[in-house]
Amino acid sequence: MKKIVYGILATLSGLVLLFSYRTSLGEAVPTDVQPAQAAPSVATPHSAATPSASTTPTASASASASASPSGAAPAATSGLTDGTFTGSATNTRYGPVQVQITVTGGKIVDVQAVEYPTDNSRDRQINERAIPQLVSETLNAQSADIHLVSGATYTSQGYRDSLQSAIDQANA
Amino acid sequence: MSGVRVWTRELMGTVFSVHVVGDASGGPEQRAAEDLAAARFFDEVSGIERIFSTFRDDSEVSRIRRGELDFASADPRVGTVAAACDEAETATAGRFSVHWRGGFDPTGYVKGWSVDIAGAGHLEPLLREPGIRALGVNAGGDVRVWSRPETPWTWRVGVADPARRGAIVATIELTSGAVATSGTAERGGHIIEPASGRPAGGARSATVVGADLATADVWATAAVVAGAEDLSWIRGAPVASGLIVSSDGGVRRFANGVELCIVPAA
Repeated sequence: MKKIVYGILATLSGLVLLFSYRTSLGEAVPTDVQPAQAAPSVATPHSAATPSASTTPTASASASASASPSGAAPAATSGLTDGTFTGSATNTRYGPVQVQITVTGGKIVDVQAVEYPTDNSRDRQINERAIPQLVSETLNAQSADIHLVSGATYTSQGYRDSLQSAIDQANA
Repeated sequence: MSGVRVWTRELMGTVFSVHVVGDASGGPEQRAAEDLAAARFFDEVSGIERIFSTFRDDSEVSRIRRGELDFASADPRVGTVAAACDEAETATAGRFSVHWRGGFDPTGYVKGWSVDIAGAGHLEPLLREPGIRALGVNAGGDVRVWSRPETPWTWRVGVADPARRGAIVATIELTSGAVATSGTAERGGHIIEPASGRPAGGARSATVVGADLATADVWATAAVVAGAEDLSWIRGAPVASGLIVSSDGGVRRFANGVELCIVPAA
């Protein structure tokens, strides 16, 4: 299995964080960013084709991506490698921003903006694991595992055929 | 071992469902308490609907809109909602507004707010029952959940794909809070941009996670009006996270005031 390195880019900050992404297809995903400096500091034991991770943030020109995983372990169920990743502070039109994200069980479970623009500094924290996990990022279908459905607005008649109704019947 | 019991009722033009997660040990008394709480929750929402519905000629809001009733004489909840809507309109820079359709129309606020109010009054007290772990409400696609603080239960909320019926684009895990989605999915263009009076463009749907459903709903509406291109509002909004599905099917998501993207880098 070939490894592909993905960057997580917080575009508001123009900040790049590197990730390892494992896929069963084994195809390198074409990059749409310019080759730059960052070396892959996230590596799993079976990385066949040594990926030279190189990204340049699209929003800002000067961010140097530096991912430092604390306890990297291949994720069994998704493409993201466990660990905590901190990007270097970068200047945006909103001011300097720095982001740290934490991945557990292959999911992004925490996003901390450790440095906000000084005119709008705030120390916000998500205590919940309330970060949306895109289905397209996971190798297994998670839809069978959900309890509630947001967004499929249904009329009274439509509820019977809704995904929520199907889930309710499965749980009954 | 735990099970989920579900009750449903037609309210506000859609279906509300109440979901209670209990231990298998819950006996008949607990089940009776759950039945009663769900019924009282639905009844309170129904009472709120009778006051606020613009689809009922005899509702207080309809009478206010016709000039037959003033706010001072109306149910005190009308004034509470009107004040909250004014705050929301200011906070969202007018992207959320109750005045776009001529007169006072708080329909876009009342559904989420009613879940918060009736949930706090009738569902949250159930968490004091030793056998009950968590509670959830789905109000026609807007979700509110509560959980006992130390419970191992986590709600997994799927975000519907606005382009593919029955499919989801993302999952969100939380123990307490709200997930609201606004957009054009399944009901046509029901988000109107207040400034122009035309259907909002650019975003098929917007999903927002917040502490309560009234707030999450306001900001999900504002996000659709802002469109898929403009996420500048996320830094100042009192929301935890969310995502926008654009009209071309692309997904942008954010958490803690910053946008998150995964970009190929190899």
